[in-house]
Amino acid sequence: MGIDKVEPSDAELVRRVRTGDIGAYGALVSRYRDRLGRYAVHMIGDHEDAEEALQDSFVRAYRSLARCYDPARFGAWLYGILVNRCRTTGARAARRRRMFVHDADALNGATHADQADRVEWTDTVDRALARLAPEYREAFLLKHVEDLEYEQIAELTGAGISALKMRVKRAREQLQKYLREAEHV
Amino acid sequence: MFEREDDVVERVIQQLRRPVTIDPGLDARVMREVADAPRAKPRVWPLWSLLATAAVLGTLLITHPWTRDDQSGPAAFQFVFVAPQAASVSLVGDFNDWDPKRSPMQTAQGVWATVVNLAPGRYRYAFLVNGVEWRADPGAPSAKDDEFGTPSSVVTVGGSGS
Repeated sequence: MGIDKVEPSDAELVRRVRTGDIGAYGALVSRYRDRLGRYAVHMIGDHEDAEEALQDSFVRAYRSLARCYDPARFGAWLYGILVNRCRTTGARAARRRRMFVHDADALNGATHADQADRVEWTDTVDRALARLAPEYREAFLLKHVEDLEYEQIAELTGAGISALKMRVKRAREQLQKYLREAEHV
Repeated sequence: MFEREDDVVERVIQQLRRPVTIDPGLDARVMREVADAPRAKPRVWPLWSLLATAAVLGTLLITHPWTRDDQSGPAAFQFVFVAPQAASVSLVGDFNDWDPKRSPMQTAQGVWATVVNLAPGRYRYAFLVNGVEWRADPGAPSAKDDEFGTPSSVVTVGGSGS
């Protein structure tokens, strides 16, 4: 029992933005920043470039909001903009990949040994991910990390479903190979 | 000794699903840019030439060239689209905030047309058929820089190319 805070839907927020309520766009940014940010960071590899891509995607989406014909699917539409933006960034930058700790808060309280192991594992995963071809990395992240259906990924990327399944399969095989190599180093 | 492939990849997935720290200032930067930049404002380049737009759909082909006398200010341009089966067609583009209500096209036996005033510049546009079906103009160059997942075309007014 009690009073539950009811969050306005994407469609409602988009409607408000279209009628001039810029603040409603802030709610949409807040709603999607972390999830989209995670995708951008893993896809691009460089944290600063990823945040720039994320910021740019939000601004582009705002400027073109009239082209979001199904406001209830604003999130999917925004994802599409970010996926394209990440491709552009990935092609432009020669993957100036930096190693960083993904989850600094989660490391607090861990023993030094645990911490060292986790940082090493994080770096290993980052390096393996960076070695994947961009189209493999993109398909793998959207399928397994962002948990999208193949139909949704096909819509976002323009690739066919069978091609996407092949990319995900290859990504899994290559990640396994790269992680094995890392164990031998 | 190695873990099974599925186990290793599952560990990778769990690692990648962890939250990533995004700069808390990002929201404010986005909102500053948003406040400074109104939605869907036409982009204008200082180009000088004329351009014609044509539209093809189904079995008909109509080319509708346009000309203008004054190259310094806005001039009227007619967009034509052939869609005999359509119940409605709207012209949407950078010049009308991609709002289908602002440039509904009128039909005469399946030939849809509307006139808009365009200042010199480069504009992306498309035709919205029956309120849901997005069509680029097959008689005009594609907008290669369109990142919104729908086909669109480019018209350059007062420029030498497109």
